[in-house]
Amino acid sequence: MSLVAVFAEFRRDWAEALRFYEEAYRALREETVVNKGLMIATSTRLPPVQRLVEIRAVAEQLFFKISTLLLHGGKVEEAIAWFNRHFNSYKHLVGLDEVSFLHWDWLSRQFLVFAELLETSSAAIPNTLSSHFGTPESSLTEWEIQPAYYYQLAANYLREKRYCLDNLLSTGDSEFSRTSGKVPESVMPSVFIGQSARLVEQGDMIEVLPLSDAEYVQYALSEAQRFQDSYEIIALFRKACESFTNLKAPRLASLCSNRMAKEYFFTEDFTDAKKLFDTVSSLYRQEGWVTLLWESLGYLQECSIRLDSAKDFIEYSLEMASLPIFANGDQEIPDSKREYGPAGLPSQSRREALQSEVLSLVRGEEIVSRTDRGCSIAVTKEQPVRIDVDIISPLRMVLLVSVAFHDQSVKPGSPVMFTLSLVSQLPCSIEVDELEIEFNQPKCNFIIINAVEEISAARSNGDNQDVRIETAPSIVLPTNKWLRLTYDVKSDQSGKLECLSVTARIGKSFKICCQAESPASMEDLPFWKFEGMVQTFPTKDPVLSFSGQKVIQVEEPDPEVDLILNASSPALVGESFVVPLTVIPRGHEVYSGELKINLVDARGGGLLMSPRETDPFSSGNHHVELISISRMGDDDESRIHSDKIKKIQQSFGVVSVPDLRVGDKWSCKLEIKWHKPKSVMLYASLGYSPNSAEAARVNVHRSLQIEGKIPISITHTFMMPFRREPLLLSKVKSLPGADQNVYLALNETSILIVTARNSSEVPLRVKSMMIQSNSNKNETPYSIQHVGGVSADDSLLVPGGEFKGVFSVRPKIDSPNLELGSVCLNWNRDLTLSDSEDSGVVTEQKLPAVIVEQSPLVVSLEFPPHAILGIPFLFYIKVSNQTNLLQEIKYSLGDTQSFVFCGPHDNAGFILPKMEYVMSYKLVPLCSGSQQLPQATITSLRYSAALNPSVTATTIFVYPSEPNFFVADNEKETILAKLNL
Amino acid sequence: MIACVAVVGHQNNPLYLQSFTGADDALKLHHIVHCSLDVIDERVNNPKRSVITLNESYLGLLYPTESYKVYGYLSNTKVKFLVVTTDLDVKDTDIRSFFRRFHAAYVDAVSNPFHVPGKKIISRIFAARVSGIVKAFAPGTYG
Repeated sequence: MSLVAVFAEFRRDWAEALRFYEEAYRALREETVVNKGLMIATSTRLPPVQRLVEIRAVAEQLFFKISTLLLHGGKVEEAIAWFNRHFNSYKHLVGLDEVSFLHWDWLSRQFLVFAELLETSSAAIPNTLSSHFGTPESSLTEWEIQPAYYYQLAANYLREKRYCLDNLLSTGDSEFSRTSGKVPESVMPSVFIGQSARLVEQGDMIEVLPLSDAEYVQYALSEAQRFQDSYEIIALFRKACESFTNLKAPRLASLCSNRMAKEYFFTEDFTDAKKLFDTVSSLYRQEGWVTLLWESLGYLQECSIRLDSAKDFIEYSLEMASLPIFANGDQEIPDSKREYGPAGLPSQSRREALQSEVLSLVRGEEIVSRTDRGCSIAVTKEQPVRIDVDIISPLRMVLLVSVAFHDQSVKPGSPVMFTLSLVSQLPCSIEVDELEIEFNQPKCNFIIINAVEEISAARSNGDNQDVRIETAPSIVLPTNKWLRLTYDVKSDQSGKLECLSVTARIGKSFKICCQAESPASMEDLPFWKFEGMVQTFPTKDPVLSFSGQKVIQVEEPDPEVDLILNASSPALVGESFVVPLTVIPRGHEVYSGELKINLVDARGGGLLMSPRETDPFSSGNHHVELISISRMGDDDESRIHSDKIKKIQQSFGVVSVPDLRVGDKWSCKLEIKWHKPKSVMLYASLGYSPNSAEAARVNVHRSLQIEGKIPISITHTFMMPFRREPLLLSKVKSLPGADQNVYLALNETSILIVTARNSSEVPLRVKSMMIQSNSNKNETPYSIQHVGGVSADDSLLVPGGEFKGVFSVRPKIDSPNLELGSVCLNWNRDLTLSDSEDSGVVTEQKLPAVIVEQSPLVVSLEFPPHAILGIPFLFYIKVSNQTNLLQEIKYSLGDTQSFVFCGPHDNAGFILPKMEYVMSYKLVPLCSGSQQLPQATITSLRYSAALNPSVTATTIFVYPSEPNFFVADNEKETILAKLNL
Repeated sequence: MIACVAVVGHQNNPLYLQSFTGADDALKLHHIVHCSLDVIDERVNNPKRSVITLNESYLGLLYPTESYKVYGYLSNTKVKFLVVTTDLDVKDTDIRSFFRRFHAAYVDAVSNPFHVPGKKIISRIFAARVSGIVKAFAPGTYG
């Protein structure tokens, strides 16, 4: 049948070939079953061992053909199903014990061949296959289509073969070896598949002779011994491991690594084995698989003995001893060595044994390897062992150190309580001989000695004699129970005081150094966090357990220097405000002192400037500015010190302070200028050393809030001359209240009244007030004169008081936008703090632009300053035409009770260009007192403008009779009497 | 026959693992259960591949070894349940029904106010209940 199949294959009739191969395989299977059932070799051609070998070889051949054809046809699922059937059919066909290794070898080869077939035909595997995994429709799973899966199994069976072979060789008393004893020579494969024959040379003839089973076994054994299976196993596992890593199956990959490492261990390549076991165990540690980790650690322990590394051995042993046991498997099974490796089954008793083994090792005994009695390790004084445990080390389970200061900060030199808590998960209590506590400030380091130990012995160990030594009655760590030790710690150095590590010494030459952890930020222990243990706290005080820190802030020593800042009154905008600052040493002397001045906006925001505003200040756009820091006293001295000023910026200054003894005094003044009314915090800090030798610095801080205020508010008004009204056309046309523009008549004198009001709380003294022209030209487009006001020389301005300056303004050009310059007010404080009174402060305020225009008509009213009852006086209304046009006016004068007058009530007239028209009336007052003249109305027809003189302009005082201001004493009474009448 | 049942926490740490073979193969079973987690990761992280399985907690056959089959089940809280059987031909419905019972037992065990979530299950009642479920399991027992 197989011949037919081969022929079909040759014809490229794959389906036919497959059918016949399957048929042939089925026939072979039937024969095998029959053979097995009869328990005897029905065929007389071959003895049973070789018969089995032949059947397997034929099956392999047929299966190879079938699976190749299936895989090439893309029928992966069928091929895998066929493989499983093939494997299940033959997996129990082990044969005799002596030749069982042949069976495992054959099985391994099946997997290897299939893996290689899968790998070469991986392109033919359809992608749709993967979507069915895990569903009832598909009996396949993810890894079954991966060659790595079969490589790994091939390696497993090869391992089995190697194990059987080793067993066979180590016992060496098999039936076959006894009977024959001699390996037959010249054995070669026969022409038939799966058969072997011996060539015998007889002269020129070469004869092929069949082998007996015993001979065949000997031959197979000798062949098998020639191969280095371990290398093959390692290569297969490596291949599988790499594939699984690429497939993102880390656990399967680590299983392969584990097996690979065991194989390395078997071949006594301990360095490679250790490397692999280390990577594998890190995954098991991470995921908390204790039993798996235990196995790897057991191998690692052995590796470190064989590599003569006592440190590694102790680390692995301690980790094993401190692992929680997953299941309660206390029974020791004799064959467990092969299954569990050198460590055996994880159990409580094993943990205890491991701990006592390590303790005896560190106390001087020797440990002998379990696999090779010749190998041993020891810890000696010459080669002490030190183990470092950090916060990610698995050895935290062995010794966990939590330290907490009872306070958050402490004064230098004063003691603070410090609790040291230790816990161990080792199965038995462990006694520590000495604990060494290390801080970041070495002066604080101390040693705790077990009272049982002799202090002198401890001292002889330590090279530095000045380390503080404490004794504890006993330092014994029971399982999972905190050992709490509380001591005082004192630091003289300000800054951070942190406990770095705690080193426990056990025996003479073993130390375990643990990084100190704060109870507040302590991680759970690996493995033990999954155990249902009672939660315990490192400190008795639960609050400290939640918030305790291994760091404490040692404060600076209290300053014994006074820093006095003074500001008697609010600062005024524009002045150089002087703040005196005094340094007075009280208890400390001041060395290499440095004074820092900082100005900060009191309302927050930090910087005293506005980036958007572009004020034309010379100093940039700082609202408040530190101008200078100068030594109090005369100018010469300040100049001497000025070179010591290191730096002054607009809101920051640093100045050095000379060395001062107790009783000395040093002062300086800070000159600060406000450009805007702002509230400012002034921070002054003095840093100094209390003595010249030490670098530790003490800082004194003071702050002062200073308000900046506007000292003077300036307002102004423009007025026309008394009883004179020019006609300003644009003013007439503009709607009342529409704009606030000031209109001035060209070549007419106007009056400007400037009012300065003291808006501060301190009396000020005005030194001068003037109007300063903006233009630098000599000829200004207007003339301005100071005509009067309150006495301008040093007039006192009490808070809320006003100062008025009167100026006459006469514009000379016609302009819609005439700049009049600005008001400059020079003032200083009435009781100035500074000595430099000479300059004063200039407050400047710009006057708004005015509109100047030619007035066509000017009306002026003329009448005497007072009248006397019944006595007539003249009242003129003069209208002056300033244009080159003829102007027509209408005028009228209304009646009033107080006066009678002669002249026209209503009239009209023409005014020639550049001429004046005078209306004259004679009025007789009828009532005394302040009287309103008859209402006059002048109307310009050309401009449709009417003028009604204002009430104040047309008021006159009427005396009852001719006043006599030089009243004689004797007439005074008569006047008074008349007045009373 | 069921060789082993396991409960694995969401950090892939074993919470409960019990072997029912009576032989000393704990280490082997630990390895099998641990390696099966790779398949669970693969199925949970590749939703495209497992459109059907995502909707239900039953993950199906995870990992066939030569002599065992591993089935998986994922709870809403990402706790994984695994069963290792020696029967090579088990009906899906039987396994599903087994997982439902197993899950119910787990829920009852962690509902104990003294149980801290995420810690190993040490309840003896749970162990007894699980071994009862395992003993009652036989292919074709559940409908």
